[in-house]
Formats: sequence, structure tokens, C-alpha cells
Amino acid sequence: MSQQLIIVAAVAYLVLLFAVAYLAEHSTGRFSRLTGSSLVYTLSLAVYCSSWTFNGGVGRASQSGLDFLPIYLGPTLAFLLGPILIRKILRVSLANRITSIADLIGARFNSGGLAALVTVIAVIGLVPYIALQLKSISTGFAALTHSSEAAHPIVQPLLSDGALWAAIVLTVFAMLFGSRSIHPSEHHPGMMVAIALESFLKFVCLSAIGLFVGYGLFDGFGDLFAQAMERPDIAAIFEYRPDRYGYNWIAMTFLAMLAIFCLPRQFQVMVVENVDERHLNRALWLFPLYLLAINLFVLPIAIGGRVLLAADTDPDNLVLTLALATGQPGLALIAFLGGLSASASMVVVETTALSVMVCNDVVMPALLRVKALGLARKADLTRLLLWVRRIVMIAVMALGYFYMRHDSAQFALVSIGLMSFVAVAQFAPAIVGGLFWRGASKAGAFTGISAGVLVWAYTLLLPSFARSGALGIGFIADGPLGLELLKPYALFGLAGLDPVTHSTFWSLLANVGAFLAVSLAGRQSPLEQARAALFVDTENLDEVAQIWRRTARVPDLMSLVSRFLGKEKAAAAFANWAHMRGVDPTTAVEADAETVLFYERLLAGVIGAASARVLVSAIVEEEQLGVDEMMRILDETSRIIEANRQLEDKSRALEAATAELREANAQLQVLDRLKDDFVATVNHELRTPLASIRAFSEILRDHPDLPDEEKHEFLRIVVTESERLTRLIHQLLDLSKIEASGAIPAQRAVVNLAAVIRESTAAMHQVFAAREVELALRIEADPALVMGDHDRLVQVVINLLGNAAKFSPAGAGLATLRLNRAGREFEISVSDNGPGIPAGDREIVFERFRQLGDTMSGKPQGAGLGLAISQRIVTQHGGRIWIEGTAGGGATFRIRLARMQAAPATAKNAPAGVS
Amino acid sequence: MLRRTAKRDRLVGLFIAGAVLLNPPILNLVGGTLFGWPALYLYLFGTWAVLIGATAFIMEGRRSGSSSQDDDGDNP
Repeated sequence: MSQQLIIVAAVAYLVLLFAVAYLAEHSTGRFSRLTGSSLVYTLSLAVYCSSWTFNGGVGRASQSGLDFLPIYLGPTLAFLLGPILIRKILRVSLANRITSIADLIGARFNSGGLAALVTVIAVIGLVPYIALQLKSISTGFAALTHSSEAAHPIVQPLLSDGALWAAIVLTVFAMLFGSRSIHPSEHHPGMMVAIALESFLKFVCLSAIGLFVGYGLFDGFGDLFAQAMERPDIAAIFEYRPDRYGYNWIAMTFLAMLAIFCLPRQFQVMVVENVDERHLNRALWLFPLYLLAINLFVLPIAIGGRVLLAADTDPDNLVLTLALATGQPGLALIAFLGGLSASASMVVVETTALSVMVCNDVVMPALLRVKALGLARKADLTRLLLWVRRIVMIAVMALGYFYMRHDSAQFALVSIGLMSFVAVAQFAPAIVGGLFWRGASKAGAFTGISAGVLVWAYTLLLPSFARSGALGIGFIADGPLGLELLKPYALFGLAGLDPVTHSTFWSLLANVGAFLAVSLAGRQSPLEQARAALFVDTENLDEVAQIWRRTARVPDLMSLVSRFLGKEKAAAAFANWAHMRGVDPTTAVEADAETVLFYERLLAGVIGAASARVLVSAIVEEEQLGVDEMMRILDETSRIIEANRQLEDKSRALEAATAELREANAQLQVLDRLKDDFVATVNHELRTPLASIRAFSEILRDHPDLPDEEKHEFLRIVVTESERLTRLIHQLLDLSKIEASGAIPAQRAVVNLAAVIRESTAAMHQVFAAREVELALRIEADPALVMGDHDRLVQVVINLLGNAAKFSPAGAGLATLRLNRAGREFEISVSDNGPGIPAGDREIVFERFRQLGDTMSGKPQGAGLGLAISQRIVTQHGGRIWIEGTAGGGATFRIRLARMQAAPATAKNAPAGVS
Repeated sequence: MLRRTAKRDRLVGLFIAGAVLLNPPILNLVGGTLFGWPALYLYLFGTWAVLIGATAFIMEGRRSGSSSQDDDGDNP
């Protein structure tokens, strides 16, 4: 196939991608809606599958079967923990405007130095990975142009080196995508759509080749496997062996689990470019599904290639060679473009992420610290930022290219990729520890990462140089200076593992060990503790403002942010913020802690947390945080728990109070009803006598010539009615007086109940005589001494006697008044042989104005207050009054009053004395 | 809140199941061929697919109304 055709196709393909990105960013309508969808998010995550999947995975599968798979099983498992780990990273990053993984670690431990360290490690660790992509493109290109003889790029002259051109084109491409303009919060929607499209295309390409191999070259996959199993070397890969996979498989799975959130490009697409946390919910299963689908044909292709191709074919080029060897140049071009897709997306995102990291966490903080440059006073820094990033991209790419020329030809793709995985896995302890453990300290993270990386460099990076001849192969075989124990592939004699597993074990052991030991041994400063609490308790993120009570002037902040973000964007962002807080953006001058924080985060979105902090701190007034405030933040969790408990208590108390209120309300309603009855009755009771008094008085006035006896009769009625009225008013006053005085009787003296009864019967004698009711008196205890008010008790007895007289049948009535001892009490009972009181009414007759029967009809026989008054008087004396039926059908009122303790010998007349 | 915790716990359960099933030594119990296909290939992809299906069921099965908006962007 001609070189020109391939180059044209490749460039056309890249231009198409760029057009898609441009459209996605600039169009409106359906196409732009794509940019914020969970499908694009998921597909952009698939930048994970670089050319390593496309070519390296197949190469590995053709050699050793399925052990390429842990690289994809790991992310699947990691995503199952997504709701715990990834969501937390997302939230923390959103709240702090985190722009890279270095930013995250730097922000958590509040250390620019740590961020710089992470950045440097990421660059060193990922250069081989980028080199791998270049190598993949260049060998693919070579394979296509020189038929099946894959030439090593090293032996080619520089200018005809496909890798160099690939590096240049991809650098330009990355600069166009990743550093075209400065965005707050580093969103690149266009790039995301292009990456998503690439992910889709590489899946389609690989699947097309898979189907072609299965159905074009073989008679279906069953036939493919059947033919493969006939070859003993292939059948040996799949036969049952109890020790086939061991630590290497587990280590790869584990590494891939960590890489899925530690690789800068994965962090970029998963966290930084995330626009909606809910997209993660969909990606949790859709992304693993993509991984499964794209890997489905890897093994069939690899096995098919091995069956059909010569044994000495470069396994990493198997896909291309297979298409070419079977006379399918079109398919070979598709395969090449698929691999190019995979490489290009990886390189673009990785260099973008790395350039942001280097720019924000290394270059800018350094430049800003150099006072001589006067950068902090420069008017517009957006261009500087962009150029720093572009230069970093070029530098990273150049490093990758030189690494490839120098070294990578010695290694298979997968081994190089795994070397990078181990390097970035060193960030995992600091991230996971930092987000879930308050005790994680800056010193611990620093020591841990450093130790891990040193071990990584010793056990993987240096040997890779040694193997290419720079250090001498003796370094690997015999150890440095012949020290056997320090052999880089068998440190301390740990043999039997492959280099990656070996390095993973030792580096992460050193990393986690140092991280834990230093964190546990050291002491955190109060500020560090506060920061740890903020990151670990995600809910409190907004309280970060209160840690540093910083104030500043809005114009100062505004001019600072404008320099990095551009005037319009800065003004729009502040107007939005002011609107949200209900402040007028044109008049706001003093910026409180929260506004300062807003500006810092806005700035952090452009130049990273470390630089932003340096810049903002130059213009703010920072107050020292009080100890008690620190304690408050530290005790946030316990405080919340306490508050929760109190809330529960309160809601319980509230429930109780509500119940009481409901009860009181019910009582009030009853009382209200009673009051209405009372008013109605009083109205009626007072009006009846008044009406007759008025009527008779008018007759007397208008008819002076009435006969004398009539006049006399009318006057008698007037007098009687007036008396009734007086009595009624007297009783009402009496009742209210008793109710007002509460539980204490007006007087407390020794009272002889026998005397009370004698006095009452004497007073009522006339009444009984008039109604011809016989009254039987049986005093069985004399003296019967109680404490109380003589007159009131007389009133009670008279009232009861009056009732008895009233309700006993005239002429044949028989009332009985009895006084006797009942245990520790005296009992007064008044019985009659009247109509009696139904059992259901025996309680309510004691209520005010309760008269049995219809009070509105017939002649009212009383105001209905007598029994109410009596009951209150008895209650005031600590006694009880109740009604029983009698055998003869009448009613018996019983009163019980407590006997006086240690009764005095004589007290016949009451009141006899005060005790 | 409670529903969400239940989802999370189920996913953690799946994680543990996946970590056990997709790693040695369980993995080494599978070998040879099944219907002419490599049994390990079928086992790995089968288990993987079941894990993904279960995750999808947990995440999407009893979805709340709030995520329906999410769907719109996916069907351009």
C-alpha cells in the first residue's frame, strides 16, 4: 500500500475528528446536546483502551491466552466500588475545582510541593506510555508500507521515521484540542465528543476485524477454536493447569483497579470533564460493558492469527499483518486507523492532562514566585498560560519520542504500559487514604509516594535502561556491584514473580508502609487536621471558607482573576455568583471569606489549586484561626451526631407536647361548649324572673285601680322572683369564688359534722314541712370532727337536703340524712324516694347548669348550680361526693370527708379553734 | 437515603463476588474446552457479563424519576 494513501487517510481521519470536536463546541441544537450526555461520558472513559488494547492486547493473547484480561477486569471491579470511591473523588474535585490528579493530592494535603512531586512522577511514569503509542503507530505504518516485514524504527533514517511524523501530527492535534483557550474548570467538551467518537470507531474497527477473522478466514468461531485446538502449542494455553495464574494475574487486576482513577488521562475524562455526577451511575455498568465488548474478539483474532501466520510475526502487529497476509488491504487500513484512533485519543488526553499538571503545579507556581519577572502584576496572563501548556505538550511528546527511539523496541507493548501503571499506582494510597482517613498527613503522603516511586524506579525503570545497554545487563543479572540481594528483578531474594508483579509488590509495600508509618508517628498541625476533616467529611466542603477567615477587596480579586481568565469571563462568573448570593455585583467592594474562596476556586480551575493559593494569599488579609474554631471543625462529625441525637430528643418531646396540646384542645372544646351552655342558661335563668318582675310591675303601674288582693298577690310574685334572682346571682358569685380560690377552703378549722347536720336540718325544717316530706335524721357519730369550713359544709348539706325535698313526691316523700364513720372517713348520706337519677347521668349532674330533663320546658326548679357548688366545696375539703341509686328507686348522695387526725377531746361547736 | 445505601452495599457485594470469581485460585479451576471453545474464555466473559448485568440491574432497575432527564441526552 502506498505511503501517501496511508498518510492522507490518517490526516483526513484526524481532521474529521477535529471537525467533530469543533462542531460539538460551536453548534447548537441536537448535536451540542451530545456533549453533556452520559453516553459521551462513558465513551470518553474508554480512552483507557489505547493502542495497547488494540495491538498489545492481541499480541499478548496470541502468546499466552487470556492474561491480558485483568487490565480490563480491574476497572470493572473498581467501578463496582464507584459509588464509594469515584463519587467521593468527583464531589471533592468539584467542590475544590480540582483540575488534575496532582491538584487533588496537593489540595488534600495543602502542599504545592506534593503536587509538583506527583506531576514529575506522572511525567516520568507516562513518557514510556506515550512512547508506546508512537511505537505502535510507527510499526503499524511500517507494516502497512513494507508489506509484512515490520522494520524496526531504530534502523530507519530520522526523516522517514513514521513515529516522528506521528509525534508531530499528534502534538499539533493535542495543542489544537487541549490548549486552544483557557476554560475555567478545564472543560473540553469538543475534545470529549471527539474522544467518544474515537472510542466508538476503535470498537467498530476491532469488531469488524474480529468478525472478518471469524467468518471470513474461518467457518465461524467454533471452527476457529476447533482448528486452533488441533495445534498442540495453542491447545496447551487452554488446558487445565491448577497453577496457571497466580500472583501475576492478581497483581495486574489490582494495578488496573488503581490505574483507572490514577492515570492522569482517566482522571481528566472521569473527574475533570465530568459535568453531571449522575453520568457516573450510567457509566458504572456501561463502561465495563464497553470493555467487555471491545475485548470480546481479541482472543479469537489472536488465536486466528497464530493459526494462520508464520510463527515469527511480531505479535504486536498481528492485527495488521493478518489483514495484509490474507489479501485485505482495505481491512488493514481500517485496522491501522483503529489503532491510530486508540493512540491519538490516548496521546491527546494524556498530554493535555500532563500539560495542565505541569503548567499549574510546577511551572506557574515557580514563575509566580520569581519576583523579578513581575508576573503577579502583569495584565493578561491567559496567553502565557496557553504557551506554557503548549510547550509542555511539545516537551512531553519529545521525551516520548526519544524514549521510544532509545529504548522501547526492546519491550512488548504491554510491558511498557504496565510500567506506567505501576508508576501512577503510587498515587493511590495518598488519594484513598487522603479521602477516607483523617489521620493521613502531608509528611506521610510525601514519604509514601517518594518511597514507592524510588522502588519503582529501581525495580522497573532502571532495568529497562539496563536492558537497552545503558547500565549494562549485569545490573539485572547480578545486582548492582554484584550484590545479589539487590537484584532489581528479585529484590531481597524475592524470585518467581514477573518484573511488574515484583515491582508492584515492593513499591506499593514501601509506599503504603511509609505513608501509614509516617502519618501515624507524626503530629498533624491544627490546620492540617482541619483540612483532613474537610476532605474526609465531604458534606462539610463549603465550610472550608471558615477555616481561613480571609477578607479582601473585590476589585483586587477581580483584576487578579481577569488576568488569567479574561475580563468578560471573570465578570460573568462574578455576576453569576453575586446573583446567587443576592449581592449587587456593581457595588460589592468587601469580599468575605466565601467570596475569596469563590475567586480562589475560579482561579484554581484555570491554574490549579497551588498557584491559585499563592496568588490569592498575596492580596488577602488572613486571620489566624482561633483554637476553639479549629476544635469546632474537628468535632464536626461528633457535633453532627450530637445534633442528630438532640433532634431526635426534640422531636420526641415535640410529639409529647403535640399530644398534650391535642388533649388540651379537646378539653378546651368541651369547656367552650360548656361556656356556651352556661351563657345560654344564665341568659334564660336571669331573664325568666326578670321578665315576670317587669310584667307584674307594669301591670301594677298601669292599673292603679286593681283590687287590693290582686295587687298584693302581684307584689308577692315580684318579691319572690326578686329573691330568686338574688339567690341565683349569689350562687353564681359563690361558684366563681370557690373556683377562684382553688383547692384551699376559705377557712380551716375543726368542724363537727354532727353540728353541721343539726344546723342544716333546722334550716330546712320548714321546707320539708311545706312539701310534706318526712325527714329522718340518723347521727351515728358525734362528735364527727373534720378540718374545714363550717359554713360551706352547711351549705352543701342544705343543698343536698333541698334537692331531696324537691324531688321527693309531695305528701308521701321520705328523706333520710345519715352521718356515720366509714374507716378513716366520715360519711354523710342523703337519700330520697324520688324518681332517682339514671346511672349514666350521675356524673354530669355535678356540672354547672346541668339539670336533668329539658331545662327550657317546665318551671325551672333551680339554677343548676347547687350540685356544682357542692362538689367543688367537697373537693376543696379533700373529700368525695357521688350518687348511688337506692332500693326504693330514689337517689342517695354520699359525701366522704377524712377524719381529723388525733381528734381533740371536745369541739362541739364549730368553729372551735384553729389547729 | 436508605435506598441509596442499599444500592451501594449491593455493589460492594458484587465487587467481592467479582474479585473472588475472576481471580485465582477460583480461576484456575476452569480449563480445557467446552463445546469446542476454550472453557476459560467462556467462563471469564460469562462471569464478567453477569457482573455487568447485575450492576446495570441495580443501577437502572428501580430508578428514581430524577434520572429520567438523563435519558434524553443519550438518544440523539
